[in-house]
Amino acid sequence: MSDANDVAKPLKTWSHLAKNRRRPTEYEIVSTKLLWSTDDDAPWAMGPDVPLSKWYVKYRNESPLRHADWDGFRDPDQLVYRTYNMIQDGQESHVDGLLDDHSKNEHDSGLSDEWVAQLARLYTPSRYLLHTVQMSTAYLAALAPSSTIENCFIFESGDHLRWVSRVAYRTAELAAAHPSAGFGSGERARWEDDEAWQGFRELMERALVAWDWAEQFVAVNLVARPAIDAAMLRALSAVAQENGDTLLALLCRAQLVDSDRTQKWSHALVEYALQSDGHGKANRDLIRGWLDKWSALGDKAIDAYCQALVPGSDLGAEVKRTVASARASLVEEPAAVG
Amino acid sequence: MALLERSSWYDIARDTNWTPRYVEIDELFPPDQSDPYGIPIEEWESFDEPYKVSYREYVSVQREKDAGAYSVKAALARSRYYEDADPAYLSMLKLHYGAIALSEYAACQSDARMTRFSKAPGMRNMATFGMLDEMRHGQIQLYFPHQLVTLDRQFDWAHQAHHSKNWAAIAGRHALDDVMMTRDAVTTSVMLNFAFETGLTNIQMIGLSADAANMGDFTFSNLITSIQSDEARHAQIGTPVLKILIRNGRKAEAQQAVDIAFWRIHRLFAILTGIPMDYWIPLDKRDRSFKEYMTEFVGEQFERQLLDLGLERPWYWDIFLEDVETHHHCQAAATWAWRNTLWWNPTGNVGPRERAWLEHKYPGWNDTFGQYWDVIIENIRAGHPEKSQAIGMPAICNMCQIPISNKGGTVWKARAHQLDHEGRLYSFCSSVCKWIFELEPDRYKTFNSIADRMYNGEISPNTPENILKYMGAGVISPVGTDAHDLAWAFA
Repeated sequence: MSDANDVAKPLKTWSHLAKNRRRPTEYEIVSTKLLWSTDDDAPWAMGPDVPLSKWYVKYRNESPLRHADWDGFRDPDQLVYRTYNMIQDGQESHVDGLLDDHSKNEHDSGLSDEWVAQLARLYTPSRYLLHTVQMSTAYLAALAPSSTIENCFIFESGDHLRWVSRVAYRTAELAAAHPSAGFGSGERARWEDDEAWQGFRELMERALVAWDWAEQFVAVNLVARPAIDAAMLRALSAVAQENGDTLLALLCRAQLVDSDRTQKWSHALVEYALQSDGHGKANRDLIRGWLDKWSALGDKAIDAYCQALVPGSDLGAEVKRTVASARASLVEEPAAVG
Repeated sequence: MALLERSSWYDIARDTNWTPRYVEIDELFPPDQSDPYGIPIEEWESFDEPYKVSYREYVSVQREKDAGAYSVKAALARSRYYEDADPAYLSMLKLHYGAIALSEYAACQSDARMTRFSKAPGMRNMATFGMLDEMRHGQIQLYFPHQLVTLDRQFDWAHQAHHSKNWAAIAGRHALDDVMMTRDAVTTSVMLNFAFETGLTNIQMIGLSADAANMGDFTFSNLITSIQSDEARHAQIGTPVLKILIRNGRKAEAQQAVDIAFWRIHRLFAILTGIPMDYWIPLDKRDRSFKEYMTEFVGEQFERQLLDLGLERPWYWDIFLEDVETHHHCQAAATWAWRNTLWWNPTGNVGPRERAWLEHKYPGWNDTFGQYWDVIIENIRAGHPEKSQAIGMPAICNMCQIPISNKGGTVWKARAHQLDHEGRLYSFCSSVCKWIFELEPDRYKTFNSIADRMYNGEISPNTPENILKYMGAGVISPVGTDAHDLAWAFA
């Protein structure tokens, strides 16, 4: 490919995509093979003892999750910056509409005192939890072994800034309607001390310092996010509906649209790791081990939250079963052929 | 009641610090990644970004910006502008995209580090937008040149340059790895958001935009103006960080970080911007000289911002001002002479009219740089263009990785600043690059410049052909040649 005859010919696309023999998509043109720090053993031009040099070698290059070609990973949604904004602008218009409609019909003043107290305990403190995911996925963007993986984490971090903002918005609105319920002032104490949140808090504090990029990915995207989605969005939304809080139910549903996107590519990334030539089996064992390790904390988080949401029910057990079966199917051995 | 104003909930969204219980605070925020200065977390919680935007506003505004940039590109694609453009102008685009596209994408990880490791919640949110912005800049600056690979294979370097071992790409990566990729969140912000983005991106994005518009390339002009509007927002992360550092007795460290980064990035931008502005853009299309831009946009504005913050001008300010009149002229001549190492086709373009302009803008140009070009022109006119092509490797600065050079002609200032460190001799272009090395020799001492690699066996055999191949010249695309086939030498 490098002889003079070839090099004189114009290209139809980037040389690194030319071998694909088909017209590349916009996604491929702008997303693939963008990291120079994975080209050589040393990630950076700075000395090997510089802390950030050592960090990248240890927690990215030497991660036990192996693949010869992380650059080959593709986001199943082929999202690029341009389309992300289009989608999220539309989604945010939808949320604006929900907020506007419910503000006009004086939704908040119609909520019962009991439910308002539940919101102050179980909903508005969630900005702390969502922010930990924003932070974690930013770390994963910084440590991702390829640009196609990095981009997914960047969008995920952006999604969480979105919901931190929307929860903050609702906190301000609820504070205006119910000035004595502690909205806007009591959330940090709830997050730090209320038993409903301690499971999620422990899970995320520990996940945030699980520095190996692949382990943190498993802890956050395969354990914490499904637990949050199941307990804090799906279960909360159902209970909200029962308590006449249509707005929260609809907001949770809107948030789950982002979750579904994350889940789709996260599963695709697991699948990609399991298909890694020569590393597939080891990767399966590794991911399975990490899932076992982190799901213990994930289950504790679900229990604590669900117990507070519907005391004395078996909601926690039900939610745990759902997430456990989804986890198990991720790393199932392929069915024997024939 | 309708939708709430942003101000009624904004502070709640940036009230997200908590006291960890299951891990230690230094574990959650390791000083090497987060804040090595030991500033109390309450101080970081006072971080107040001057430019506020919500996620809702962000996705809406950015969508509109992209719609604008992409539609201008689509509409103008029919005009076949690039097919008929001046080849020297195309070189400016090749240099720009090769140097910039992946560099901007790399900055996603710098912003990601701030999002994860800053102790300031407001900064974490702003850096999240910064991370998204830099993805935009990486992607859009790959999408635009991609169509041009069908026209000219040198545009493949928009994607390939930073994967190559080309000397110019090595110089770029060395500076960016130093300033953006391997520092803690606080220092990265001072170096990247303040020194680099506040201090210097204007010159590329505003200065070149004016020249591009004069050239009729509204696609590019519009693109980089649009990019600068993002930079202007996320660059503002740096100012509150500096205020907090200064208030907490870390003025000296803040000043040093600014001084390192400003110099390192200036050395790159002078090549990236200074050469096209003062040599490649046709005379009647030039907006201002590089020096005028640097004096106005960088010198005055940056200096004022530094002083307003309570910082000083970098200690090397006089050396910097002299470098603004020197470095890019040296590199214009050197890169032209070593044009077969490049991924763009430079033009000498120093005919009598251009020289009069250069002498006017840079008094003394004729007696210094002009004398160098006199010899070149003489050889070309005598039918020996091959004598204008440099052979061999120049001395390379062990910090900026750029050929060591200075004014020639009657003043002859060329010299290397050398340092013996642990038995190895290091050469630098200037006392500033040497100063940066001496601050943290362990950070820099192991790196081998392209010249070092010719003698340590990495480029083996170190024949001219093999050196070019090592650099990707003639491998990724045809090597650089004079953009105007030397016509200017006969003007």
